[in-house]
Amino acid sequence: MNADGTIFARKIRKSFGPKTVLKDVDLEIASGEICCIIGPSGSGKSTLLRCINGLETVDSGILKVNGDDFGYYETDTAYHALPPKKLAQQRTRVGMVFQQFNLFPNMTARDNVMAGPVLVKRADKRQSAKQAQELLTSVGLGAFGDRYPAELSGGQQQRVAIARSLAMDPEIILFDEPTSALDPEKVGEVLGVMKELAKKGMTMVVVTHEMGFAREVADSLIFMDEGNVVERGDAREVLTNPKEPRTQAFLEQVL
Amino acid sequence: MSGMDSALKPRLKRRSTFEYVSWVVCILVGVGVLSSVATNPNFKWDVVAKYFTHESILRGLMLTIFLTVASMALGTLLGLGLAIMRASTIKPIAALAGVYITIFRGTPVLVQLIFWFNISALYPNLSIGIPFTDIGTAIDTNALMGPITAALIGLTLNEAAYMAEIIRGGFSAVGKGQLEAADSLGMSGAMKMRKVIIPQAMPSIIPATGNQVIGMFKETSLVSVLGVAELLQSAQLIYARTYETIPLLIVASLWYLVMTLLLSYPQSKLEQKYSHTSARVPRKARKVTLTAPEGIAR
Ligand SMILES: Nc1ncnc2c1ncn2[C@@H]1O[C@H](COP(=O)(O)OP(=O)(O)OP(=O)(O)O)[C@@H](O)[C@H]1O
Ligand SMILES: [Mg+2]
Repeated sequence: MNADGTIFARKIRKSFGPKTVLKDVDLEIASGEICCIIGPSGSGKSTLLRCINGLETVDSGILKVNGDDFGYYETDTAYHALPPKKLAQQRTRVGMVFQQFNLFPNMTARDNVMAGPVLVKRADKRQSAKQAQELLTSVGLGAFGDRYPAELSGGQQQRVAIARSLAMDPEIILFDEPTSALDPEKVGEVLGVMKELAKKGMTMVVVTHEMGFAREVADSLIFMDEGNVVERGDAREVLTNPKEPRTQAFLEQVL
Repeated sequence: MSGMDSALKPRLKRRSTFEYVSWVVCILVGVGVLSSVATNPNFKWDVVAKYFTHESILRGLMLTIFLTVASMALGTLLGLGLAIMRASTIKPIAALAGVYITIFRGTPVLVQLIFWFNISALYPNLSIGIPFTDIGTAIDTNALMGPITAALIGLTLNEAAYMAEIIRGGFSAVGKGQLEAADSLGMSGAMKMRKVIIPQAMPSIIPATGNQVIGMFKETSLVSVLGVAELLQSAQLIYARTYETIPLLIVASLWYLVMTLLLSYPQSKLEQKYSHTSARVPRKARKVTLTAPEGIAR
């Protein structure tokens, strides 16, 4: 079976020192699914996301991304860390969009978008530039390719960052509070780009506080609290009829 | 009030009494020093003028410039290597660089220079070859370690330690988010270093390196103790014959001053240029830099 675009986790644990941030988290995301993760601050949402593209390593449990054990290979007795090259290769298939955009300030918007294909995949430069132009146009920034990140607004930077992730042609794209660092009037333009993206069949995992976006776009919703997945289900179902008291309390607060 | 339109009256800067007093003191001291320098015959300005462009002084100057350029270039390269090692996640490699930096920064350059000059006492023969075989050749260390070689090695190895710290400081100014963005694109460590870390570290590394060049220019005078005929030693060789000590020290000093002034112009340009570039770092990214100054170890 083709497992491209899927994420599967069973009993993943992650601790920072004495603090356990993920407690036996299970996760199953199908190819093309749009999954939103919500929960209070410090509940482990970012950590979960960061594990899925290897910015953090899990302590134990099973984590399969695109059908492969992520960052490790399994033997009879243990998981062994993959060599950096293999890990990098797996990462190219999982895009990440950060709260703080993290565009490379020393590169223009176009070079940011081209960075992945040219520097990592060794793609043809001219073709990558063409692709970058198309991607920038698709996020509404066709005329901004020569600008440096510092010359762009937050919303524009985040759209370039999305284009940069897309340039790698990943099966999965992860968003960690992509609109939280934006001025309120810029939130819409980024959510708009994400909505367009959602129609294209890519797997998307979005940590967000934008309940409106979750309700409108998400297939599934996960509510996390204190390192546990407290509730998961159909997005609109969970948002309108939360079963768990903790979910109810949280939604009452934010809605 | 007079007929002048109040809207057009100039607004004058306030000058404090302290400002007037300091002007007076400054002028008095200046006049005193200048008149003393001009009238004291022991300065022998005619001798200064005569030797200022003397052939052996100019040759010494050339050697000083050569030592500065060569030891800075080599020291920066070695320093970059050390900084990269220092940031390695592989403990023994980071530790090795750490020990090197500690030793070379923790002992005086003068001692290091004399040490390298006398290295033959430690290793009389340097042999190159395959261990436990007859293949290879041995060289007399003394023949290899002439004063200029010792000077170059001493200055380079010392400078490398300082450059390593400067470069490492530049690396750690690169925000954690930048490294994560590079990682999430699947960049290799070397690529991340070349395309993300080093370019972003440059604005803090380059001006500091400029300062090092200026410092090194003066530091080379230390190698006169090895008998290297650089600028200071060239002056010393002359006054050992003529006993015109002060005028020749003035000659050397003037040259050091001229060169550092010449270097400080491009230095200030560099500082301007790179403070401008760092304005390119977006506001948000700079915030991250300020709050999370972490090493590049990943
Ligand atoms: N690198 C780290 N070292 C130590 N503790 C960490 C680290 N990263 C996260 N934590 C801790 O793990 C917990 C979960 O953090 P995480 O960032 O995953 O929460 P979150 O749900 O994303 O919160 P927020 O909504 O504020 O972003 C927090 O208590 C945090 O302090
Ligand atoms: Mg978070």
